[in-house]
Amino acid sequence: MLFNSFEFFAFLPIVLLLYWFIVYKHIKLQNILLLIASYVFYGWWDWRFLSLIALSTVMDYFVGFRIYESTNKEHRKRWLWLSMVFNLGLLGFFKYYNFFIDSWIDMLSSFGYQSESTWTLQVILPVGISFYTFQTMSYSIDIYREKLKPTRDFIAFAAFVSFFPQLVAGPIERATNLLPQFLQKRSFSYKTFSYGAKLMIWGFFLKLVVADRAAIYVNAVYNNVENHEGLSFIAATILFAFQIYGDFAGYSLIAIGTAKLFGFDLMTNFRRPYFSASVSEFWTRWHISLSTWFRDYLYIPLGGNRVVKPRWLFNLFITFLISGLWHGANWTFVFWGALNGIYLIAEVLLFKKDRKGIFNVLITFILINFAWIFFRANSIEQALYIVKTIITSPGRLYIGSGDDIAASIYAVLAITILFLVETKKEYFDNLFSVSRSRIEILRLGGYAAVIFMILYFGVFGKSQFIYFQF
Amino acid sequence: MNIKEYRVSFLKIIKFVIIILVADFVLGSVSQKIFFSQKTGKYARATYAVEKSNAEVLIFGSSHAHRHYVPEVFEKELNKTCYNAGAEGQQLLFHTALQEMIIKRKKPDLMILNIDDSFLYLSDIAYDRLSDLHPYYDDHSEALRPILGLKSNLIDFKLFFKSYQTNSTIIHALRYYVSPQVDYKGYRPLYGKVNSNTKKHDQQEVKEYIEVIEKDFVNALKTFINNAKENNINLVFATSPTYNKVNYSENKSFSLIKEIAGKENVPFIDLFNDTQFLNKGELFHDPSHLNDDGAKLFTKLLADKILEKNLIIK
Repeated sequence: MLFNSFEFFAFLPIVLLLYWFIVYKHIKLQNILLLIASYVFYGWWDWRFLSLIALSTVMDYFVGFRIYESTNKEHRKRWLWLSMVFNLGLLGFFKYYNFFIDSWIDMLSSFGYQSESTWTLQVILPVGISFYTFQTMSYSIDIYREKLKPTRDFIAFAAFVSFFPQLVAGPIERATNLLPQFLQKRSFSYKTFSYGAKLMIWGFFLKLVVADRAAIYVNAVYNNVENHEGLSFIAATILFAFQIYGDFAGYSLIAIGTAKLFGFDLMTNFRRPYFSASVSEFWTRWHISLSTWFRDYLYIPLGGNRVVKPRWLFNLFITFLISGLWHGANWTFVFWGALNGIYLIAEVLLFKKDRKGIFNVLITFILINFAWIFFRANSIEQALYIVKTIITSPGRLYIGSGDDIAASIYAVLAITILFLVETKKEYFDNLFSVSRSRIEILRLGGYAAVIFMILYFGVFGKSQFIYFQF
Repeated sequence: MNIKEYRVSFLKIIKFVIIILVADFVLGSVSQKIFFSQKTGKYARATYAVEKSNAEVLIFGSSHAHRHYVPEVFEKELNKTCYNAGAEGQQLLFHTALQEMIIKRKKPDLMILNIDDSFLYLSDIAYDRLSDLHPYYDDHSEALRPILGLKSNLIDFKLFFKSYQTNSTIIHALRYYVSPQVDYKGYRPLYGKVNSNTKKHDQQEVKEYIEVIEKDFVNALKTFINNAKENNINLVFATSPTYNKVNYSENKSFSLIKEIAGKENVPFIDLFNDTQFLNKGELFHDPSHLNDDGAKLFTKLLADKILEKNLIIK
């Protein structure tokens, strides 16, 4: 089920009513309801893959106990390995199997060995597999590190793994933050409820008005690369920067807002990333739940920055390389990750102090946009063609005709609104705010205006959230 | 259970919903006023066809109808008033919905549906572009519900919001207020010629369909025919010439349209690959669309064939 589907607008109130009016007295019943709702939410897309979530849940539930109860260090390590191999195995098979086989055959053929690709399989990528496998792995690792005790409450654990607001596209929650919330009483609070609803409204604005509007121009250019010139690629890439931000930050806000409606706190996933004055700052503001996951479970175990400098730089690079691969089974994502790794290495080598100021924000925005070319392009060759065309043949800016022009204007208007709101939040947060006004009618009117903009300017189709594919 | 907290929340939610509904009604009504006050552009043409046109001959179809059928030529040749209700980028679902809205008010003597060979092939865009009909839902819900409901069971709920009905139409309206789009009874001529040096690559149209027969489109075609029959309106299917010769014998969509027309006794005037037009660059704006000279010649030719076959009494 998609957040931006009308099915979700029927599903959510029903679950909320049951949650707060029927089963509100018992945590256990609330958890059972959330578990059923989450499986319905996921199964709406493809019920067959519910078995994977169930399997991952059962595996990590039992492995968690084994790790916790084993006194022998070797045994604990073996159980942890079992969890890792199982979860990464699922991910590897469903997401990367064909990619590695094809890449291997390509490599052989580049050495002159021709081989038919008979080993590839027709595999459907289960939605959200990268998210829930990472979440369950963090559970096992945290128990292994003795940061967390396993829960005996299987229903609570299963509800934690499959919690529908963040199941398919994050934020990737840590068991240390989310699991305890399933074990304690949740009380209805208007303040939390209304805050959740406000986050959802803004999330829908980001998705339906900013991201999906920008996508129209981006797709027109990136899907017909040979018919466009440099200026169009620049415009499309900048719009893509806002498309992916609107898409993913929008999804995260809807997820966080939905969770709040049920009395849960999820972690912040985006903090106005395009105001970053360096790439390293960008990664503390962009997809925070994933960046911190890689920091805690890959970068720091590799030694982090508490090693000799060359090793530190290697750690940075390898972390971003793997982060790139996490985003998709395509060399474009690997290259994008590597490029970000190179940016960070360059910052370590070139700058001693933290950078600040509008100029650095601008430079960072340009660097991030350059990397987005590789992220959005369909192949490395296409990305390189785009880069080359931007440099050698700026040409004319494609503005389309008829409705295409209108779509671009709506996109620019939506981005302008987003920019103004985020600028205020970033630099003038103490000034007057409609959302914090004491005049109720003004507050409610402000949010009604956003809903009007969504209804009037939003793109209502069957567009999916980009991060579903990861 | 904190009853007070629930009650306060409930009242505030009600207040918020009322504000949303009032805002939607007021702003949505303003938007509708702007929408229906348009004088030119695609929406103005559709509104004119639905609400005002008393033409005796009506043209339906995609850009090939809109750009190829010259009402003035028909009026001269057939001695009947004519309006071109062709809509660029639209397909059978839209044309059928438009036809249903029109015949509720006025029954013309003759309807001509310009057939695109791919009309029955599966196309998501055909569904997506039906949003052009949303502004008419308040007044034509019965005619539109079956078609708009094909991809959504919640169409009544969605279109309850007035602002959603006119979603994204404001720039279009403003644009044609500032710079009116000229048309001649719905027809908009194209100019320029196809150069024989035009690269093959530039001659290819972007395919907006998959070559699988879509049941909804077949039903829409049959509905279009039935509507005409039930209202005693003469109906003609016609095809427009193309610059390059195309072999349609393998085209399942086109073959099925012909088959349905045959079964239903709908006259079919097929001018695809007509030798008067083949490779005549001076008659084409691009390989798929006639220019003004080509459109006038085509309309005259079609009018002659309609008279020849006694499909209308002059």
